[in-house]
Amino acid sequence: MKQQKYSTLGLILMFLKGSKKYFVLTVLSALGMTLTEMLPPQIIKFTVDSVIGNADPDLPQAMLAVLDKMGGVDAFRAHLWWSAVGVAVAALLSAVCRYGFRLYNTKASETLVESMRNRIFDHIQCLPFAWHMENQTGDIIQRCTSDVDMVRNFLSEQLTAVFRIVTLLTLSLWFMVQLNGTLTLVSVGMLTLVLLYSMFFHKQIGSGFAKADAKEGDLSAIAQENLTGVRVVRAFGREEYERQRFYECDKEYSALWMKLCIKLSTFWTSTSFISGMQVMMIVVLGAAFCVSGNMTAGAYIAFISYNAMLTWPVRQLGRMISEMSKAGVSIERIKHIMNSAAEQDKPEALTPPLDRDIIFDNVSFRYGNAKVLDSVSFTIKAGETLGILGSTGSGKSTLMYLLDRLYELPPEGGKITVGGVDIADIKAEHLRRHIGMVLQEPYLFSRTIEQNIGIAMEDADAEDIREAARAADLHESIEGFAAGYDTFVGERGVTLSGGQKQRTAIARMLLRPTPIMILDDSLSAVDTETDAHIRKALRRKTKGSTTILISHRITTLMQADQIIVLDKGRIIERGSHRELLEKNGVYRKIYDMQSRKEEADV
Amino acid sequence: MSKETIKALPWFGLGKLIPFLKPYKKYVIIMICCGLMESVVDIVLPLFQKYALDHFVTGGTMDTVLGFVSLYVGVLLTMGICGFISTYCTSFVELYTAMDMRQAAFSHLQTLSFSYFNQNSVGYIHARIMSDTSRIGSLLSWSMMDGVWHLSYLIGAIAVMLSIHWKLALVVLILVPITAYLVSVFQRKLVGYHRRIREINSRITGNFNEGIVGAKTIKTLVVEDKIAADFKKDTGDMKRTTVRQAHIRGLFFSTTTFASSLALALVLWQGGLITREGVMLIGTLSMFMSYAQGMMEPIRWVVDAFSSLITAQVNIERLSGLLETESDVADRPEVIAKYGDTFHPKKENWEELSGDIEFKDVSFRYPDGEEYILEHFDLLIPKGSNVAIVGETGAGKSTLVNLVCRFFEPTDGVVLIDGRDARERSQLWLHSHIGYVLQSPHLFSGSVRDNLRYGKPDATDEEIWTALRRVSAEGVVERMEKGLDSEVGEGGDLLSTGEKQLLSFARAILADPRILVLDEATASIDTLTEAKIQYAIGEVIAGRTSLMIAHRLSTVRHADMILVVEDGKIIERGTHTELLKLKGKYYTLYNRQFEEESIDRIIR
Repeated sequence: MKQQKYSTLGLILMFLKGSKKYFVLTVLSALGMTLTEMLPPQIIKFTVDSVIGNADPDLPQAMLAVLDKMGGVDAFRAHLWWSAVGVAVAALLSAVCRYGFRLYNTKASETLVESMRNRIFDHIQCLPFAWHMENQTGDIIQRCTSDVDMVRNFLSEQLTAVFRIVTLLTLSLWFMVQLNGTLTLVSVGMLTLVLLYSMFFHKQIGSGFAKADAKEGDLSAIAQENLTGVRVVRAFGREEYERQRFYECDKEYSALWMKLCIKLSTFWTSTSFISGMQVMMIVVLGAAFCVSGNMTAGAYIAFISYNAMLTWPVRQLGRMISEMSKAGVSIERIKHIMNSAAEQDKPEALTPPLDRDIIFDNVSFRYGNAKVLDSVSFTIKAGETLGILGSTGSGKSTLMYLLDRLYELPPEGGKITVGGVDIADIKAEHLRRHIGMVLQEPYLFSRTIEQNIGIAMEDADAEDIREAARAADLHESIEGFAAGYDTFVGERGVTLSGGQKQRTAIARMLLRPTPIMILDDSLSAVDTETDAHIRKALRRKTKGSTTILISHRITTLMQADQIIVLDKGRIIERGSHRELLEKNGVYRKIYDMQSRKEEADV
Repeated sequence: MSKETIKALPWFGLGKLIPFLKPYKKYVIIMICCGLMESVVDIVLPLFQKYALDHFVTGGTMDTVLGFVSLYVGVLLTMGICGFISTYCTSFVELYTAMDMRQAAFSHLQTLSFSYFNQNSVGYIHARIMSDTSRIGSLLSWSMMDGVWHLSYLIGAIAVMLSIHWKLALVVLILVPITAYLVSVFQRKLVGYHRRIREINSRITGNFNEGIVGAKTIKTLVVEDKIAADFKKDTGDMKRTTVRQAHIRGLFFSTTTFASSLALALVLWQGGLITREGVMLIGTLSMFMSYAQGMMEPIRWVVDAFSSLITAQVNIERLSGLLETESDVADRPEVIAKYGDTFHPKKENWEELSGDIEFKDVSFRYPDGEEYILEHFDLLIPKGSNVAIVGETGAGKSTLVNLVCRFFEPTDGVVLIDGRDARERSQLWLHSHIGYVLQSPHLFSGSVRDNLRYGKPDATDEEIWTALRRVSAEGVVERMEKGLDSEVGEGGDLLSTGEKQLLSFARAILADPRILVLDEATASIDTLTEAKIQYAIGEVIAGRTSLMIAHRLSTVRHADMILVVEDGKIIERGTHTELLKLKGKYYTLYNRQFEEESIDRIIR
C-alpha cells in the first residue's frame, strides 16, 4: 500500500478518475440543450415577421442561401407548417440533449460517488487499528456519508448547473444583443440586481438555517432522550415535565423556522416582483421600439422569450454561488481520512512459517502517557500453551494486540519475534492470517450465523461450519432458532447473548485452524462446564498450535504449560500451575479463593 | 424491530389530518385564496403582452401607455402581495400543523405502556415524531398549495384560450391528457426507484459502520478484502439503480419540455394560418404561444403533488397508527377521577405509600409473547426488605421490576401495593413513590441541578448537596467548573460512567422514594469508584423496599432474598446460604462472578 499525501485538488482529481468522460458528456449535452433552446424564438421571429408578416427575412448570409434553396420565403408562406416542424425539431433535439444531460450528469455523479465511497472505505480498511481508537465512529461515518454527499453535490450538481446557467446566460444575452442592444442593457441591469440580491440574501440567511438546524438537533435530542430514558421518566413520574420541555423547544424551533420562512417569502416575492418589472419594462420599451420602427413584431416576441428564460436561473445562480463554499469544508474533512497513514509493511516484508517459538523480549508499551506494559519478557515454545492471568487493565489484551500487530511496537519498546524473526519484519497480512484470535467482546457482522462463522474462509463448506459450531458448543443453540444457520444476527436480526457471541467467534476461529491461537477471555460468559467442554474440543482441534489463553478463571488456565500473572503491565509471577502453587504467592491465593469459594462464604 | 401494516386508507388518509388542520382553517383559506389570486395574475400577464402587440405595435401608437404601465404595475404589486401572503400562510400551516402533530405524538407517547416501547425500536418511534410529522406538514401546506396553484393556472389558461379562440385552444388541449398520462407513468416508476435507493443508501451507511466499528475483528480475521468486496457490491448496486432512475427522470423532464415546444409548434402553425387570414391579431397569437408553452410545467407539478400525496400516505398511516395505539396499562376512569391523569395529577387525594409489595397468584406473559413467564407466582416483599434478582444477561430479569412498577400488568392475579391492587390507584401515584437507578445511568441534557431535581422538582440546593454527600458524590460536582450549573451533555456524555452512576444515586435519594429499583452495572469501573458505588448503594437502599437486578457479590450476598432467573422464569429463590447449598444455577453464577472479583481483590 503506497503512502500518498493528497493536496485538495489532487484528491479531487483522484476521485474523478473514471468519471471524467461522463462530466465531458454532461457539459456537451448542456451545451447542446442550451443551443437548441435558443432556436425556437428565432424561428418564431422569422415566421411572425416574414411568413405571416411581409418583412424581408432578417437572417445571416448562410441562412439566406439555405432559405433560397428551399424556395424562398414564399415556400414557407405556402407551407406554414414548415415553421412548426422547425420548432418541433429544435424541441426534439433539445429534449434529447436534456435527457442526455440528466443521464450523463447522473452517471458522472454516481461514478464519482462510487469511486469516493470505495476509495475511502478501502483506505479505512488499511488504516492502523490505533487510528480507529483515536477517531470517533460517529464522526468518521459522518465524513463518509454526508461529507461525501456534499462534495458530490458540489462537483456533479452545483458545478454542472452553474455551467449550464452561465452558457444559457451568455447565449441568450448574445441573441438578445442581436435583437436589440438597448433592451438587453435593461435586462442585464435588472438581472445583475437580482443576482447580487440573491447572493447577498443566501449568504446572510445561512446563519439562520444553521440556528434552526441546531434547534432541530436539540428537539431531536429531547425526543431521543425521552425514548431511551423512558424508564426513568416513568419511574420518576415526570411525563408532564418532559412534555413541557419538548413543547418549549418545539415552539422555539417552529418560531425560528417561521422567521426563516418570512425571510424566504420576502426574497421570493421581491425577486419575482423585480423580474415582473423587468418583463414589463421590456414589453413597454420594446413596444415603443416597434412603434418607432426600430424593431419588428417578431423580434419583439423573440426578445421577450429570451428574457423569460433567464429570470429563474439567475435566482438559482445566486444561491449556488453562496452555497459552494460549504463543499470546501467537506473535502478537507475527507482529506483527513485519506491522508492518514495506512498500515505499512517494511519493504520486502517476510512471510516466514509461524509454527515456531514466540519470544517477547523486554516489551514496553504506552497509550499516550499511560504505561501499559513494562519490560515484559517471556518465551512460548512452539506448540505449547501459555496462560495469562491478570486483573482488569493489567495489559493482558495489549500483549496480544502487539503480537497481532494491531498496535505497532515502537523501536524502543523491545522486540517480539516468532522463530527468531522480528514480527515488525513480517507482512502484517501473513502474520494475522496465521494467528487465530477470539476477542473478549467479539464483533459479529450483520449477516447470517453461517456467514459469520465462515467469514474468514473462502468457500467454507456447510458441514465444516456445523462441525466448528459443534466444537464451540453452539450447534444446538443455532438449531433452536427458527431460521437455523440462516438466522440473521445484529441490528436487523436476532440479538445473541454474550455467551453465544463468544462461541460464534470461537467457531469462526476453529473453522480455520492456525499455527497460533489466542483466546482473549473469550469464555467468560459461558459456565464452567461449557468452558471445559469447549477447551477439550479446542485441544483436539488445535493440536500442534501454539495457544495463548487469557482468563480470570484458574481452571481454564491450569493445564497450560506456562502461566504468567500480570499486574499493572509487569509480570509478577510465572511458572506452571504446580510451580506457581508451590510458590505460595498471588496465584496460590487466587487459586485458593476460587476453589474454596463456597465454604468461604457459607 | 418495527411492525408495519399499511392499509390503503380512503382519501390517502387525509381525513385523519382534518383535526390538525382545523385550528389553522383561517390560514388555509387565505392561503388558497391568495394562491388562486396569484394564478389569476399569471394568467392575466400574457394578456398585457397581447395588448402591447395588438394595440401598440400593430396599431403603431403609444397613446395608452401610461394607463398600461400603471395597470401592469398594479397587477405586479397584487401578485407580490398575494405571493407573500400565500407563502407566509403556507409556511405557517406547514410549521404549526407539524408542531401540533409532534406534540400530540410526544404527549401520547408519555402515556403509552412499555409493550409499545418493547415492540418498536427507539429509532422507529423517533422517526415517527420527527420526520413523519414534518413530511405531513409539508404535504398539507406546500403540496396542497402547489396543487391548487398549478391546477387553477391550468384551468384558467384553458378557459381564457377557449374564450378567445376555441378552435386553436382545442389544438393545444390535445396535448394535455397525453402529457399528463406520460408524466404520471414516469412518476410512478420514480417513486419505486426512490424507495430502492433509500434502502441501498441505508445499507451503505450500515456498511461504513461495520467497517469502522468492526475494524479490530476485520483485521484479526484478515477479511478486509471480503468486506470491501461486499461494500463494492452495494455501491455498485447504488450506481446502477440511480442511473436507471436517471433514465426515467430524463424522460420525465424531457417529456414536459418537449410537450411545451410541441404545443408551441402547433400554435405557430395553426395560429399562423389564422393570423395570416387576418382573423386573429399577432398579439393573440403571441398570447397563445405563451399559454401553450406555460401549460406543461403545471401538469408536471400537479402530478408531483398527487404523487407526494400517495407517498405521504405511509407517513400518515404510521403517525395515526401511533396516535391511535392504546396503552395496555391505562388507569380506570374512576381512578383518574380521584387521582388525576398523567398530566393533571390530583395530589391532594394521594395516599402515602409505605412499601409492602405482594404478588398474589400472578401469571404473566408479555403482550407480544406467547409463553407464560410467571405462573401462579406468589411473593411477599415486606416493606424495607431487599430483593436481589440474578441471572444471565438477557435472561429476563426485568420482568418482576416491570410488574412492580406497573410498566406491565399481570395477565392474571394481582400485584398488591400496601395490600391494595396496584390498579386501584393511578400510575403516576405509584411512580412518584418509586426511585429508579439504571444500569447505564440515564441523565438528560441540561445542568447537574436539573438532573438531580428530576425526582423532586422543588428541591433546594441545600437538599441537593445533602443528597450528594450521602452518596459521597459531592466531589464529582465540586470538581466541575460551574458546580450544580454545569452541563452534563447529551445523555450525560460529559461525565464518566462512574460519575453518572453516583449522580443517579443522588437523584434517587433526593426523590426519597419508598420503593427503590436498582439495575446494577455489569461494567467494571475503577476500584475506587467501585468502592464508592458500593457504599452509595448501601445508603440508597437503607430503609426502603428495594428490588435489585444485581451483579456484584456483595450486593447479592446481603440481600434478604435472592431470585434466580433463567429464560425469563424464576427457577430458584432463597437466601444466599440456602441457594449455595442447592448447588444449582445460583451456585454457578456466583462462582463465575467470584472468579473475576477474586483476582481484582487479591492483586490490588
